[in-house]
Amino acid sequence: MQVTIDGVQVDVEPGTTVLQAARAAGAAVPTLCFDERMAPFGACRVCLVGVAGPDGRADVVASCTTPCRADMVVDTCDPRARRVARVVVELVLSELPVTPAPHTELAAVARDLGVHEPRWSGEVHQPDHDTRHPYLAFQHELCISCGRCVRACDEVQGAFALTAVGRGFGANVVAGIDAGFRDSACVSCGACADTCPTDAITELSLLEIAGATEDDPRSRR
Amino acid sequence: MSSNLVQLARTHRQSHAPTAVELLSAAVRERGVLTDEDIRATAAATGLPEATVHGVATFYDDLLAPRGRRHVRVCTGTACFAATGGAHAEQIAAGLGLRAGECSDGGSLSLAETVCLGFCHSAPAIRDRDLVDAGPGAVERVLAGTARQAGEPAVRSLLAEPALTGAGDWSGLRRTLAGMTADELLAQVDAADLRGRGGAWFPAARKWSFARAQQDTCRYVVANGDEGDPGSYIDKHLMERSPALVLEGMALAGYCVGASEGVILVRSEYPQSRPVLEAAIAAARAEGLLGDDILGSGFAFDVHVVDGAGSYVVGEETALLACLHGLRGTVSARPPFPAERGLYGHPTLVHNIETLANVPLIAARGADAYRELSPQSPNAGSKLVCFNERFAQPGVVEVPFGLTVRELCEEVAGGLVGGRAIKAVQIGGPLGGILPASLLDTPFDSAPLAEQGCMVGHGSILAFDDRTDMRRLASHLLAFGAHESCGTCFPCRIGLQRAHEEFASREAVDRARLEALLETLEVASLCAHGSGMPAPIRSLLTHFPGELGLR
Amino acid sequence: MNERFDSDVTTTCGYCGVGCRLEAHTRAGRVVSISPAADGPANRGHTCLKGRFAHQFSRSRERLSTPLIREHGELRAAGWDEALQRIASELGRIRDTHGPDAIAGLASSRATNEDCWAMQRMMRAAIGTNNIDNCSRVCHSPTSFALRRSLGYSGATGSFDDIEAAGAALIIGANPTEGHPVVGARIKQAALRGLQLVTIDPRRIELADFAVVHLSPRPGTNAAVVLGLAHVAHRDGLLDRAFIQARTEGFEAFAELLAAYDPGAVQEISGVPGADLERAAHVYAQAGEASILWGLGVTEHKYGSEVVQLICSLALMTGKIGRPGSALLPLRGQNNVQGSSDMGALPDTYSGYRKVGDEAVAQAFEACWGVSLSRSPGLKIPQMFDAAVAGTLKAMYIFGEDVAQTDPNTAHVVHALQSLDFLVCQDIFETETTRYADVVLPASSFLEKSGTFVNAERRIQLVGAAIEPPGGARTDFDILLAVSRALGHDMRLQEPEDAMREIAALTPEFTGVTYERLGRRGLQWPVAADGTDHPILYEREFHREGGRAHIAALPYKEPGDAADAEFPLVLITGRRLEHYNAGTMTRRTANIELMDRDWLELHPDDAAQLWIGDGDLVSVRSRVGRIELEARLTERIEPGHVFTAFHFPEVRTNLLIGASADVNTSCPEYKVVAVDVRPVAEQPAHTPALAPAGPA
Repeated sequence: MQVTIDGVQVDVEPGTTVLQAARAAGAAVPTLCFDERMAPFGACRVCLVGVAGPDGRADVVASCTTPCRADMVVDTCDPRARRVARVVVELVLSELPVTPAPHTELAAVARDLGVHEPRWSGEVHQPDHDTRHPYLAFQHELCISCGRCVRACDEVQGAFALTAVGRGFGANVVAGIDAGFRDSACVSCGACADTCPTDAITELSLLEIAGATEDDPRSRR
Repeated sequence: MSSNLVQLARTHRQSHAPTAVELLSAAVRERGVLTDEDIRATAAATGLPEATVHGVATFYDDLLAPRGRRHVRVCTGTACFAATGGAHAEQIAAGLGLRAGECSDGGSLSLAETVCLGFCHSAPAIRDRDLVDAGPGAVERVLAGTARQAGEPAVRSLLAEPALTGAGDWSGLRRTLAGMTADELLAQVDAADLRGRGGAWFPAARKWSFARAQQDTCRYVVANGDEGDPGSYIDKHLMERSPALVLEGMALAGYCVGASEGVILVRSEYPQSRPVLEAAIAAARAEGLLGDDILGSGFAFDVHVVDGAGSYVVGEETALLACLHGLRGTVSARPPFPAERGLYGHPTLVHNIETLANVPLIAARGADAYRELSPQSPNAGSKLVCFNERFAQPGVVEVPFGLTVRELCEEVAGGLVGGRAIKAVQIGGPLGGILPASLLDTPFDSAPLAEQGCMVGHGSILAFDDRTDMRRLASHLLAFGAHESCGTCFPCRIGLQRAHEEFASREAVDRARLEALLETLEVASLCAHGSGMPAPIRSLLTHFPGELGLR
Repeated sequence: MNERFDSDVTTTCGYCGVGCRLEAHTRAGRVVSISPAADGPANRGHTCLKGRFAHQFSRSRERLSTPLIREHGELRAAGWDEALQRIASELGRIRDTHGPDAIAGLASSRATNEDCWAMQRMMRAAIGTNNIDNCSRVCHSPTSFALRRSLGYSGATGSFDDIEAAGAALIIGANPTEGHPVVGARIKQAALRGLQLVTIDPRRIELADFAVVHLSPRPGTNAAVVLGLAHVAHRDGLLDRAFIQARTEGFEAFAELLAAYDPGAVQEISGVPGADLERAAHVYAQAGEASILWGLGVTEHKYGSEVVQLICSLALMTGKIGRPGSALLPLRGQNNVQGSSDMGALPDTYSGYRKVGDEAVAQAFEACWGVSLSRSPGLKIPQMFDAAVAGTLKAMYIFGEDVAQTDPNTAHVVHALQSLDFLVCQDIFETETTRYADVVLPASSFLEKSGTFVNAERRIQLVGAAIEPPGGARTDFDILLAVSRALGHDMRLQEPEDAMREIAALTPEFTGVTYERLGRRGLQWPVAADGTDHPILYEREFHREGGRAHIAALPYKEPGDAADAEFPLVLITGRRLEHYNAGTMTRRTANIELMDRDWLELHPDDAAQLWIGDGDLVSVRSRVGRIELEARLTERIEPGHVFTAFHFPEVRTNLLIGASADVNTSCPEYKVVAVDVRPVAEQPAHTPALAPAGPA
């Protein structure tokens, strides 16, 4: 079937999501919780786009979880969608006690959307590090609950060693019964570190590298 | 929702065995606090991974608060807020010498907050062990150790022939099985324009058609008894006093969509509901109204009950299914809709309790009779509404659509107690807009309410009297919203926290920043919790801007 | 990708045979991180803890960085010229005195195709012998033999993508979630999404938890189980008659043979309950598309090659071959076990499995290399050791293999190595084997070289050098060219890519292979001249005379070893997730923190009878050797069986393995060893105060 992305008609298979169609059409749609290795999750809401409704007024939808319909007209630059996506990223930055390191996906998305200092201060996540595993490190305060690590452990590896814990603003991620990677079902595949967009889970050795650079990206705000 | 975890839950499921959530709740009830051993045992019993079960244990309010031998739960719902401004919770905490979430050293006493106990007709409400005391003097009695069970609300119907306040007589199912096809029943429900009573107002017949269209013929009916809306006790009333009506509605829905199993999720804040429902199920089985071959028709349908464990968002249908799978009660993106892939991955019809209770009348007397219940309104059927303790005559009332809110407040509920003035009413739960006294002439109908940023919602009508501090009300509502956010989508997870911080601080509220938050919540939230929470805040901004401390 | 790294090099993992594509990130000349390539066809953006994390060995202080030469009984550092001179003069002397067949070489299944090509060319052209083999001898040589016999090509008939396309799968004698973790993860995911899985293994492997049915046959009885599955499929009419008719031969004899393998008879032999066998047969035969995966639990047996032939027979009679979802997928142990054999690093074949006695083939090679070549097959690995002990083999050149730790009957191997006049080892570390070497050449790991590997699905994939070999170490390719030149045969190859041009010119299955065409996703051989590759083999015909496959009818025969009164338990050996084979690499990484020892798994019932507690030190004695290690109790193993890995030289598990081997390929019978297990006497805690009195 055909859909129109930013004025360009593209052919898509049934079941294609708007995000897939948009990216296939070359549109740059930012995402934070999306990883093509896993089923779309629809949590971060940064991939919002406008979809023309029957009355001509655009609906704003999360492109990752919205399937294409025939003759759908999608505007990836819909002003309301972009505006709201920026606020979401601003909110995400506001929950971290430090600015995300420049190499992280979160930092890249913030750059792309032109989000800098968040307008909100308020409560932030408290530093909590776990470096007991020889390769994998937790920096819980950087967790933005995108669920990518938990889903990678579930849908890619199948170890089910990670879980989301808590709820609301207090949500975070832990391994096992809050026991760290080593005392959980973790098989050390590293898929969690690989997919993490903030370095909340990262390779221990890379943490050392990040710390060794002159321009330490993890300076406190 | 993780399809792998659902698959694990399905593979290891023993018929009607307790869910992981129920097993953990039982462990907490027994031993006061969850241990790693409880989590491992639950994982072994359910086939769920240990980490997953740990995640469950950190999600539900019931599993988080440690329990002493005497466990006191103070209701912090909106009706209790309207009654005391929150003073009752502080008095209980001070009187017991514990903060919410604490347990005394020896484990003799513990205190938790809960939203809400469904005794809004008699606020404030406090649950002391399994007794719910409510109303004036409840705080003092609990502190004195002399709590007594509060009375149930009055129930009335304004209809000549009550449809929803009776016990239910199974005549709809009898008539249907005696000679109506599933298609014919669907046509009646469609013609009756039955709408979902849980707040979304979605046409029931569309859901049913969708479920029927699925290739998978293993289907379920799920009754959503997670009536978490503070201020509402309509489903509680139906489950506890008209359980047969609910069961009959489930059986009819099952007949129509080809399901043979129904599940009712009951929130743990309503400890009376499950035993009553289970007794009604046993009675129906005994009479051949549930079971393998209902009334000799060959139609098989049975129902069992599952407990929740303290989460408002579990009232959202995908979160409800997660809870039934024993998982964290978090919301999932749709599609897939439950009607395509729901309980254990099978097509599932999820309806609110009251919606199901409407079905028997349609089946028994037809669509026309049903529509005629509200002759003055474009909306079909009748509606149960409930009034909070501020009213002179609180309770559950069956009303036709089309009366004005003023008629409901002043004539049906007798105005406020002590003749106080209504400052505003919140209709339909915490996601409903707030109508100021000046707009009480708005008809109680879906369209006119929507024009005022309000909704029929669950049908609760919660009055705030002239003493109410509107900034504190905003803070109260947002505290609830932030506490209950499941944490999945970013706008709700962070946005409600930030919105609450705006009002909870002593500083002026930055209006531009607040507007950005509200828009983000409305546009971008994954479910109605996040997208609905701005409605009452917008009402307050519109009608009471001077009281909010804006800049 | 980001500012933390100096370079990002796409390469192919050097551990197991899955063939994960990796991105190696470097900084200051060291690999500091590895991540999976998102477009890797086998790994699809995933990898395991070995591929991702176990790269610290590459910068270990213990890396060999200069040649070593034995002098006065000790190895000392030497320059390359001296080392090459020593090799050339010693090998030259032995060749001139005892003839070229007194020298043998081992190529490495860990090395690239180009390395293996150079190695076999050096042995054949520079030395003049076919005494060249590789370590697939001790793992999948039975698979190679059987697939060639039954179907034609020595390789998987399909791809890992068939796992997701299949409705059902049998996994026999493999523990993919530990041995091949990325494929294991793919299988587990597929099973959670509805793949009907049957696991067949004496141990209750992790995937058994996700299976419809798990069969635990007694070690060495796989043939009976496969025949039983075929019996049930035959009995219940679940055959593909049209396929049998049109595309196979030998079915009648097979059908006759099957009569004897009813579920009752199979239960008698294997201990597998008849009902479970029937269930398993139905799951496989009733699925529209079904695949069979197997590992060394099938091959490392006395009749391992025959069991692989029977697996082919089962697939052929049910027509489950040559379509998406219906594949035979041997899980290859090492990164290039497929390629090293494809390259002709075998005593009886040139590349593409063409016999060394085939005149036309030999002449083509002679024309290319400008030398005359031997027409007589050389020695297989076990025969090499026998010949060394017998004194007829005088020298060996062992490239990238620690035979003194990994090969069976370790005492015999050591005896053989000690018996040699001259031993060259080319490796990245000192190993158990280099203790006996006269010259040790410092070589390169997969992170330091370029070339190609062939994974278990016949996929030829590029290997890219991310860093330089340490110190004076060189790439294996350069070393082999230099040694060959020193021996008087200049290969006139500069780069590995030159070798691939020669391989393509001389090897039918590689005809269309160029580095450019391999690109990021590789090609699955046979690759036609125009570059077309073959994810699925045998879509229309088999690669045999007449195009028909052969349904082999081979009866069950008893394994080479069996429990008896003196050795009442059966030992099975295998891999664990955290380590890789001899552990030469993984033990030099932080993987050692995740697993720091081998242990013996035994069933609590056996442990109770033997007064062994969890964690006790036990002695394990076989007919040929004895080791000590820690015992751990688990119900994942059946009573009567014990299991251990072989990753730690301290334990030297392979001391226990005898000389029994596959009848067709000499692949050792690692998987059935009768042993006696008892607590080590110094551990009195679990010894009864009053032991029951035995008969006087």
